[in-house]
Amino acid sequence: MGEILQYFLTGLSLGGIYALVALGFYIMWEATRAANFTHGDIYMLGAVLAVVLVELGMPLVVGAAFAIAISALTGALIERVLVRPFNTDANAIGWMLTTIAVGIVLESATTLTYGPLGRSLPSPLAENAIRLGGAGFYIQELLLPIAAIGCMFALEAFYRRTTLGRAMRAVSFNRVTAGLMGINVNQIALYAYGLAAAIGALAGILIAPVIQAVPTMGALIGLKAFGVAIVAGISNARGVVIVGISYGIIEKFIEGYISTGARNAIGFTLMILVLLAFPQGLFGRKEVTKV
Amino acid sequence: MTPRRQFFAILFLGLAFLIVFRLLEPTQYQIGVMMRCMILMIVTIGLNILIGHAGLVSLGQAALYGLGSYVAAWFSLRQGVAFLPAIALGIVASGLFGAILAYPTVRVRGVYLAVITIAFGLVFQNILVEWLPVTGGTQGLIGIPRGEIFGVKLIRPIYFWIVAGCLIAAFILQYNIIYSRYGSAMRGTAQSENAARALGINIAGTRTLAFVLSASLAGLAGGLYTFLNLFVNYETFTFIHSVGFLLMVILGGIGTLLGPIIGTSILVYIVEILQDLKEWQILAYGLLLAVIMFVLPKGVVGSSAALIQRLTTKSRARKTHSWPNRSVPLHGLLDTGALTGQIAIRTQGLTLRFGGLTAVDEVNLDVISGTVHAIIGPNGAGKSSVLNQISGFYVPTSGTIEFFGEATTGLPCHTLARRGIARTFQNTELFGQMSVLENVLIGFYGHYQSTLFETLLRLPRFVREQKNFLEQAMQLLDFVGLSEYMEEEARNLPFGHQRRLEIARALALRPRLLLLDEPAAGLTHGEIEDLKALIRLLTDHGITVLLVEHHVEMVMTISDHVTVLDYGKVIASGTAAEVQCNPLVIEAYFGTGMLKVGGAAAAAKGA
Repeated sequence: MGEILQYFLTGLSLGGIYALVALGFYIMWEATRAANFTHGDIYMLGAVLAVVLVELGMPLVVGAAFAIAISALTGALIERVLVRPFNTDANAIGWMLTTIAVGIVLESATTLTYGPLGRSLPSPLAENAIRLGGAGFYIQELLLPIAAIGCMFALEAFYRRTTLGRAMRAVSFNRVTAGLMGINVNQIALYAYGLAAAIGALAGILIAPVIQAVPTMGALIGLKAFGVAIVAGISNARGVVIVGISYGIIEKFIEGYISTGARNAIGFTLMILVLLAFPQGLFGRKEVTKV
Repeated sequence: MTPRRQFFAILFLGLAFLIVFRLLEPTQYQIGVMMRCMILMIVTIGLNILIGHAGLVSLGQAALYGLGSYVAAWFSLRQGVAFLPAIALGIVASGLFGAILAYPTVRVRGVYLAVITIAFGLVFQNILVEWLPVTGGTQGLIGIPRGEIFGVKLIRPIYFWIVAGCLIAAFILQYNIIYSRYGSAMRGTAQSENAARALGINIAGTRTLAFVLSASLAGLAGGLYTFLNLFVNYETFTFIHSVGFLLMVILGGIGTLLGPIIGTSILVYIVEILQDLKEWQILAYGLLLAVIMFVLPKGVVGSSAALIQRLTTKSRARKTHSWPNRSVPLHGLLDTGALTGQIAIRTQGLTLRFGGLTAVDEVNLDVISGTVHAIIGPNGAGKSSVLNQISGFYVPTSGTIEFFGEATTGLPCHTLARRGIARTFQNTELFGQMSVLENVLIGFYGHYQSTLFETLLRLPRFVREQKNFLEQAMQLLDFVGLSEYMEEEARNLPFGHQRRLEIARALALRPRLLLLDEPAAGLTHGEIEDLKALIRLLTDHGITVLLVEHHVEMVMTISDHVTVLDYGKVIASGTAAEVQCNPLVIEAYFGTGMLKVGGAAAAAKGA
């Protein structure tokens, strides 16, 4: 019983990471029909920046805020410089390569400056483990699923209630028409990438007290989160968060009951199978094409 | 330079380069690098077919390469299988997985496919590391025996030429496939799925072919790598290597003949140089990747070809000839032997529902062969839906369709196209980035008798057919008056010319039935007169024309029979004159409110 609870709780925390990073993919995709392919490295950047800023003497909250802000700017910069020029027609794939390139640069630059070893972010919520029915966990870990669900609701409200959010939705339905209606499509893309990066960085900062920030922490998480977003159908925030959290929990159960080594093989195979059965993703809307 | 000349020039220069390289007495290390480079070229040539022509992005190519490599290694090491069969097994294994990976492309493309291929690559790597008894885990498979052919040990100097031979074979295969109907079909499905289906191209089959070819080449390269290196390890086949392959293709120039060769050479060379940078190596690699994308978005070959074209092409005035060109003999070009007066199309109780909406409701239709049959009706009456069911784009909810007495209900469009149903589209669907000539040539796709095997080896029947269809395509262009635009990209044609091209392409199918979906929309008065002349000319030659059109004057003057639809139901059917007088038709078009004399004036005053 304790085992099951343990897997469930750590799965929730891991799933929260996937959900938050995947939400970023969703936001970027809606705005540009492209994404920063190595968005996982923004998640890493958030964590590393927070650690460095706190080490430099900033209080935790201030350091985290700065880390998020810098990450958001980086995200926006990536959109302007590396995505926009390479996403000119519907079949463009240049953005995949340029953003993979920036991911490589970010990761290796971090290794060279910050060092390859992990450092932990001190947090009052990750000092004492709580024991519950044979399972142990930190309050800090539970912040991730909470943040994911919070971001999801905030995002939905933002998309529905605010002018900027509505403009973003208009752009996601039809870029050209949105542009004709006077929406600055390029600016929307810039904001979207900034927002996505902020949420990604938040995920990194929230988990840094528990797992330590290392330059390599983002790559695989990013790929998995992209898979999560696609499997969810990349068209609504709820779907993305549900699939993200579930994927985290499933991974932990595979680790627990089968083997750690089989985790990725089984997880990715599951993804492939789901996409074969539901080509538009689990929560995706079918795109109707008129002949 | 024509593609054919380019091909022979590259082949000759490449071979000369290899011979000179060997004569210069390179070091063992240099020979090794050159061989690795040639092996990678085989992978990128395959990837180029997949991305550049079929428009499918694979980010798992390194896994297919690794699969071929590991299969060859395992059979050679554990089963004692000889060199050639071990390589063959690697090719088969990779090709098989290519076919499996192609399955989702029937339904998904773009980024969805990218995720599936990434996931495949990561699963593969994970299995390599974890399945210790078979793959040797992180250590890999060590001590693979050197290959032997007919008792000759494949020591490096000999093996060099075997690898070179495989590369040359791959290069020839690339040329033979992309300049054949299969290559046209790949580009066609990438640019417009609908048009491709309407021309008798099996989309799933075409994409599977592209995937299997590219995977088999990756498998071949993998096997060659195994017997070069004599040990294999998972580290050679990771996601970052898949990215590398993609980069090589893009760096060289997507879809170009020479691109994969150039792109691979440059990247291999760069990586060799970067090795001196130690810990800065990865950073430099990433930066370089980004810089290359900025400076050469079309790749080395693509960008320089564009530059040369801009410098050498002189703009010249081209004359559009009038159409239909009656001096072109249609008897050899079209299926003019069809019997007239038969029932070409019969629908019974044809019904189509989209959710709760009934678009077509119990439509019974008889189209007599050799006549012009028009379907008219207000917008949303279900006219195009009827057309789309006859051509196989929609599957009827209920009811039956017969084409010259054969039941065709629910058959896929490519099958119907090959049986002789051709169509044009409401929003003209050309292959925009193909030349005008290739647009027509692709229409002959279903007429080829030569098999894939004959095509790959350019056997006599293929050559004969290709020549024959090229002539016919030119005649068709002559027929529609566009022969001077032959080499232009289709998207650059003005709208009226695009319509003509679309009709010429449909005629290449040699149809018995031609479906025209609003062919007059957007045309000028003069162009409509030409269109009418064309339709009459076609029916004079025994072709049946089924027309959906809003242009009433045109419909009434050329149609032998008119069917009027409203809210999915047939409300009138008969000759043009009969239909014009039918009160139900007048009501559907103009409403029922009877204006009294003087009422109109009063209404105008009120407004």
